[in-house]
Amino acid sequence: MADDRLRKFVLDWYIYIVLVVFWIVSSSISPFFRTMSTFSTIFVSAVPIALVGLGQTFVVLSRGFDLSVGVVASLATAIASVTMHWGIGPSIGLILVVSCAIGMINGLGVSKLGIDSFIMTLGMMFLLTGVTLLIRPSPGGFIPVNFKRFLLYQVGEFPLVPVLILFLTGCVGVLVLQKRRFGREIYAVGGDPESAKMSGVDVDRTRIKVFMVSALSAACAGLFVSARIGSGNAEAGAPYLFDSFTAVFMGGTLVTGGIGGYRGTIASALIIASIGHILQFLGITIWYHFIVKGLLLAGVAGLQLFVVSRERNR
Amino acid sequence: MNRIGRLQLAAFQPVILALALVVIMAIAGIITPGFLTFRHFKMVLYCNTMLGILALAQTVVILSGGIDLSIGSTYWITIMTGALLMVDKGFVTGSIVCILLGAAIGALNGIGISKLKIPYVVMTLAMMIILTGTLYVTTGGGGRGRAATELIRLSSGRVFGFPIITLVWILLTLLFYILLRMTAFGWKVRALGSNISACHCSGINISRIQTGVYMISGTLAAVAGLFYLGWARTPYPTFQSGAGVGANIMLQSIAAVIIGGTMFSGGRGGVGRTFLGVLVLAVLFSILSMAGLGVEWQIMLNGVIILAIVGLHSRVKLH
Repeated sequence: MADDRLRKFVLDWYIYIVLVVFWIVSSSISPFFRTMSTFSTIFVSAVPIALVGLGQTFVVLSRGFDLSVGVVASLATAIASVTMHWGIGPSIGLILVVSCAIGMINGLGVSKLGIDSFIMTLGMMFLLTGVTLLIRPSPGGFIPVNFKRFLLYQVGEFPLVPVLILFLTGCVGVLVLQKRRFGREIYAVGGDPESAKMSGVDVDRTRIKVFMVSALSAACAGLFVSARIGSGNAEAGAPYLFDSFTAVFMGGTLVTGGIGGYRGTIASALIIASIGHILQFLGITIWYHFIVKGLLLAGVAGLQLFVVSRERNR
Repeated sequence: MNRIGRLQLAAFQPVILALALVVIMAIAGIITPGFLTFRHFKMVLYCNTMLGILALAQTVVILSGGIDLSIGSTYWITIMTGALLMVDKGFVTGSIVCILLGAAIGALNGIGISKLKIPYVVMTLAMMIILTGTLYVTTGGGGRGRAATELIRLSSGRVFGFPIITLVWILLTLLFYILLRMTAFGWKVRALGSNISACHCSGINISRIQTGVYMISGTLAAVAGLFYLGWARTPYPTFQSGAGVGANIMLQSIAAVIIGGTMFSGGRGGVGRTFLGVLVLAVLFSILSMAGLGVEWQIMLNGVIILAIVGLHSRVKLH
């Protein structure tokens, strides 16, 4: 009995165990790693991954892919850098409205027109890349100091606001998926759209909402990135596309939808941020990060399906 | 429209497309003198040969119900490998290594997708990042190496005033037209795209066909890469669209396939249609650049075309 409970605990929380082990090992290897400033940077760089991962978790759970998250984040930095001089409020409002509209178009295409989510968001990704390059051909623009200070607010070396954002995102993601009607509908749609429909779930509506959440959270990630880099950049959001997939799959959400949750995604976001950091400490150039991230993405997705097929055969 | 209506629309798409092509070219010809000459048309074909070969490869993959997002980065990695090797190893070794490399990358994609059951989106996306990283680690991100003289002569050579590489593209299209229509392999590829479980039941070796399809894609990407190398002489890779190296040409290859009328869901379509699709895309791009609109408009146009055509097909499905 106790054995079963332990097994379940490990299965549920394995990604946190990986995270802690990873931190302990890295700290014991590198003296630079076990400083507060390192962990502060890790938390700050995990915020955009966790935010983009929130939307991607919802989309993958509902049996879809969203390839436009990276460019929505870029678009948010571009719009922010152009419109922040009107004032922070209107600019953020504009970004949220635009991203909502993008998510809605994605969702409408996927649900009402029945377009494969992958090709729908791929088309959207390149459409928006063009738009973003028109708005901000080269990096630059204006981001108010207050906005940067607020989002990166630190007490001593502890990044208070980023950690709060992580915590709140985590709460919202987990609670919506576990406790709200919307969350349960996502699982139903991802598990089996046909039977979800039979049991009275409005599948189309759920899909549209899922893509809107995805675009909104990507835009929030973009806002955070723009505060971090202090400017707009048409390429800034691109890496988060890969990171979001890695975070979602590594966190235990199944590629095929319907199984998983946000709890794992947020721990994976911290792991991905830490990996980037340890690679830097080891003096490995930025281009190796691409190789590591690609191998991680393919490896995690392959391993996950392997484990699932073994569990099914047991 | 019902299901029959959708099939008819898909069947007529090449005809509609050919008419549209004629109209677009006529309008462009009236506005810009010199657009409608044989010489300009030959130039447009020549400049889009590499895209044509990549779109050909992409057609085969999409027909089998998959997609190759790593095609652009495979193309670029073979270009840079060729450029670095040909400096002291010569034309023959360089070309053979490039083509083997392309086939090997395709085989890896195929094995990941068919044996490890990684979804094709994830597998080829991961491959794209891995190749982007590898490319920059080995070259440092700048232009390096040089094409062999023989390759330069091949890429700029002409027979009876017609570019050799464009002829190769046309021959490859014919070859794959025959391969997909008249061989068991071609029928199996289509069958796989139409209904994977039916294929499984009828005893087709799915993983072998899938691996074969991605290997074709990688090999053709290497061929296109070699042609480009001879054309550019010293290639300079750029990190495009924020999504990795070769992202633009990858997207253009998908756009050409879809605009040609091959169904994205697989099974229906063909390489002849893609040839027409490449022509339309090429003419549109040349009009864009004549109007002085930059690469961001091209990227946008690609996205709009994909969304419009895919949307059109599915809208028809509804009623």
